[in-house]
Amino acid sequence: MDITDSAQGPFPLFYILIKMTIAYEQKDTILHVESLSIAYGDKVIISDISFTEKDTIRKDKVQGQTIAFVGRSGRGKSTLFKALTGLEQPTTGVVLIPDFSQSITNGNQPAKKVREGDVGFVNQKYTLFRHKTIYQALQFSLRNSSISASEKQEKIMKYLADWGLEQCKNQYPNELSGGQKQRTAILEQLLNSNYYMVLDEPFSGLDVGNILNVKESFRLVNESHELNTIIFSTHDIELAVELADSVYVVGYPKNNNGTLNRTGTILKHFDLKEMGLAWQGEFTDKHLDVAKEIKSIMLDS
Amino acid sequence: MIKKWLRPFEEIAGNQRYMITGIWIILVIGYWVISSLGTKHLFPTPVQVAGGLRSLYNEGLVVHIVSSLLLCFKAAFISIIISLLIVYLSPIPLLKPIALFFSKLRFLPLTGITFYLSILVSNARQMQVWVLVIFMSLYFITSLLAVLKDIPEEEIDHARSLKCSRWEVLWEVVIKGRLDYALDVLRQNLAIIWMMLVTVESILVAAGGLGVLIKNSDKFANHGRIVALQIVILLIGLLLDWILQTLRKGLFRYSTF
Repeated sequence: MDITDSAQGPFPLFYILIKMTIAYEQKDTILHVESLSIAYGDKVIISDISFTEKDTIRKDKVQGQTIAFVGRSGRGKSTLFKALTGLEQPTTGVVLIPDFSQSITNGNQPAKKVREGDVGFVNQKYTLFRHKTIYQALQFSLRNSSISASEKQEKIMKYLADWGLEQCKNQYPNELSGGQKQRTAILEQLLNSNYYMVLDEPFSGLDVGNILNVKESFRLVNESHELNTIIFSTHDIELAVELADSVYVVGYPKNNNGTLNRTGTILKHFDLKEMGLAWQGEFTDKHLDVAKEIKSIMLDS
Repeated sequence: MIKKWLRPFEEIAGNQRYMITGIWIILVIGYWVISSLGTKHLFPTPVQVAGGLRSLYNEGLVVHIVSSLLLCFKAAFISIIISLLIVYLSPIPLLKPIALFFSKLRFLPLTGITFYLSILVSNARQMQVWVLVIFMSLYFITSLLAVLKDIPEEEIDHARSLKCSRWEVLWEVVIKGRLDYALDVLRQNLAIIWMMLVTVESILVAAGGLGVLIKNSDKFANHGRIVALQIVILLIGLLLDWILQTLRKGLFRYSTF
């Protein structure tokens, strides 16, 4: 591991990691989760979840973050995602994101607790407003934006063209193909939530073509702003390792007596940037090894 | 071809569907003609029905139809406004019991309600309207509450994730997002009201209407007129149903159910 600078701290971090192949820097914290737990009555779904993600910078390339959460069904991934998006209030702990409405003080970007709407959320059904056309839906996403009406129209039309949705801008969700719905759902959240987007099992039930569509959407989001952060869950471990630069394994930890503690938590984190596996553009043997290790952890959880 | 017609879940071509419908119509009419032959018969003959229809027309059938439709539309309009207001406010926890209470009231018998209404409302025409409004509203509220309950949580979360306030969620997902369902609830419940019309119109004979015509025909056991009126009421009901269905599909392109 070639770490040339390792100045560390909770928020104003700035250290540089240079890999053999791809160099990158890490700057401010963009997501900080601390001691998060969620319980419904006596039933604790997830507990002791803590992690931090930082803004990644690559030279001569706009690079957003792609974070994957993997784990067996019923381990609390969806509940965790609801907490990350502010749709569910944590029983304990906090989810912090930078507050870009405030100016930097003492070199630090002030943080704020996540609230609903701060982080975009796309569920696996790619839910859209059934009574709005694509254009109307994107217009609605920009309703709180301070830009003028003509600028909004220009922005929407540019996104529609870039994302291959121009031809169907006046169609309703029931008139769209699966791929068009996916792109609209992602775009809608991208326009509304600024930098963050959580996708719950975006590849579930998709055919090869639509998986490629979503992967292409990820690339477009990632390359449009360095702060853009995609957080997704999937049961396709190879896909998670191929796409993400950071992978978290969620599952039930083992008790001292070897039985499972039936509360979801993060069992392991794989920083694929640090491992030199992120942004490779191909799935190598090293990726496969990581996927195998993840599966092994999952099977024990 | 006939084999296909008898096999469960068999998909058949459109023209064959028309053929099957045509065969059934011919069978029903045939049965009607045959069963009304002879001196003793349950149903009046087609000739008697045609005669009944003619006499009804001469007595101002069209005016009575208009009177019934006006009563129905007036009651439906008031009822849908009241019901939508109660149901759209039901997501507010404090107001939810009101909607649930009205929904439960649909089990009340008509007689009890008309007794109290007759004390409160002096005008007979108003009485007709309000009896219909009360009954229509109870069914509307029940059906609309079911529509609300069926809204998937994902749709609410989707709106919330787009920074919608709770009131915006109500407006976008529940009200605007389910307008086509509200129209369909109106269509389905209108059938109940159309059926109740005969009973309600008999409250005030002077106001006229199809119910009055049926009552008068019934009094004189004029079977030809009774069946003719039943057919007229059925056809108007089907026409209203078709209009509302077409309206829903025309107004809401996304409404595919």
